[in-house]
Amino acid sequence: MRTTINELNGELVAAFEGRLDTAAAIQTEKDVQPLADCAGKNIVLDCSALEYISSSGLRIFLNVLKNAKAKGSRVFITGMSDDINKVFKITGFMNLFEFR
Amino acid sequence: MITVRHLNKYYIGEDGKKVDVLRDVSCEISRGEIISIIGPSGSGKSTFLHILNMLDTPNSGEIIVNGKNIQDKGYDLNKMREKMGMVFQNFNLFEHLTVLQNVTLAPIKLRGLGEKQAEDEAMEMLRKVGMADRSGSMPSQLSGGQKQRVAIARCLAMKPDVILFDEPTSALDPTMIGEVQGVIRSLAMEKMTMLIVTHEMKFARDVSTRVFFMNEGVIYEDGTPEQIFQNPKRAATRAFVHRIRSLVFDIVSRDFDFYDMTTQIKQFCIRYSIPEKMNDITHIVEEMLILLSKYDSPVLIEVNHSEMDYTSSVSILHRGESVSPLERPDADELSVMIIRGMSSDIKTEQTDEGVRLTFRI
Repeated sequence: MRTTINELNGELVAAFEGRLDTAAAIQTEKDVQPLADCAGKNIVLDCSALEYISSSGLRIFLNVLKNAKAKGSRVFITGMSDDINKVFKITGFMNLFEFR
Repeated sequence: MITVRHLNKYYIGEDGKKVDVLRDVSCEISRGEIISIIGPSGSGKSTFLHILNMLDTPNSGEIIVNGKNIQDKGYDLNKMREKMGMVFQNFNLFEHLTVLQNVTLAPIKLRGLGEKQAEDEAMEMLRKVGMADRSGSMPSQLSGGQKQRVAIARCLAMKPDVILFDEPTSALDPTMIGEVQGVIRSLAMEKMTMLIVTHEMKFARDVSTRVFFMNEGVIYEDGTPEQIFQNPKRAATRAFVHRIRSLVFDIVSRDFDFYDMTTQIKQFCIRYSIPEKMNDITHIVEEMLILLSKYDSPVLIEVNHSEMDYTSSVSILHRGESVSPLERPDADELSVMIIRGMSSDIKTEQTDEGVRLTFRI
């Protein structure tokens, strides 16, 4: 599992690659720490290379969202595969995030 | 017609240990029955057939044919074999004799028929198996399916009361299996008594009046084709006829290798051509482990896939517990939602070992 964060056109873009499962969650949680400092910038979670997400991964996304909202930022999700889409649907996460 | 009582067969392995091939096998076979013998390799099917024909001897037990114990001193085994024909996997035709000579040989030598009568009867049998026009051919000129049909005609020429088939289509190309099965089907229509060791499940289901499922040297289940194939009573029969492939994880410590487990699930799904089910299976296993991580009880996980009807399931036994982890008030809501969303059906059962949840994928 690999996470890279870049600033693009005034937005923070976090790109996830691989399987975000229980085993990968601890490291990924550390990797997304820079997103905490998002004041004034929107966040894009790029899932185009994300193969799998478990509840541990969803919690990381949820924490990013809570933190961003508290700072007045918006969070967009992009590039979801069918499997990720299915997980978002059955957990109601579809209603929490904005999608591009 | 044939009664088998307490048949045992074993051999001593290279390490000096006793290896059981047949264990206390008993059964009754009546005239007109068509019995398919199915089961995994090494379950004793062929040995059982060979012993019935005394091509192999049992270590103990009795075989009574038409009221007589065939192991008694003075019992005429050759006479018995004339009435109990055998068809082998590899045909066993005499390569130096023509098709006709192969079929007439035993009737002339053993039944004492004259050449003309033996040939007339042989041609009748060859017609029955669709090989009359090849009566002058040498076996080397025939395909595997044709050779096997000649072998069946040769067997029929002895006017047997029963025919034992030892995997009659196993050595054949798939294109030739049908022609041999067709001949056996027509014998079944004539109510010929037959015992057929086979790996062809559809054929066994269609042709038999009764099925023996052999497993680990015993007749593990004996029933009608409907029972054995549609409603088997015992777990091993079910697993065999549904061709269930399994992957098992026995988790006793929280420090188990999670990476290795997900890799094995991936390999399992690829091996059995169900890559599309890989994520669903992994989701259920992973979320269940998250729910169960609060408890110290060991967990047994089984991933099953039936190659017969393409259904898959995940079964999770929470040892020593009685409450479903999905029903506990403190269960993690996200995990429960994912588990319920990934399975089309969830069955919960209490077992002596603990609570077992089975998820259909």
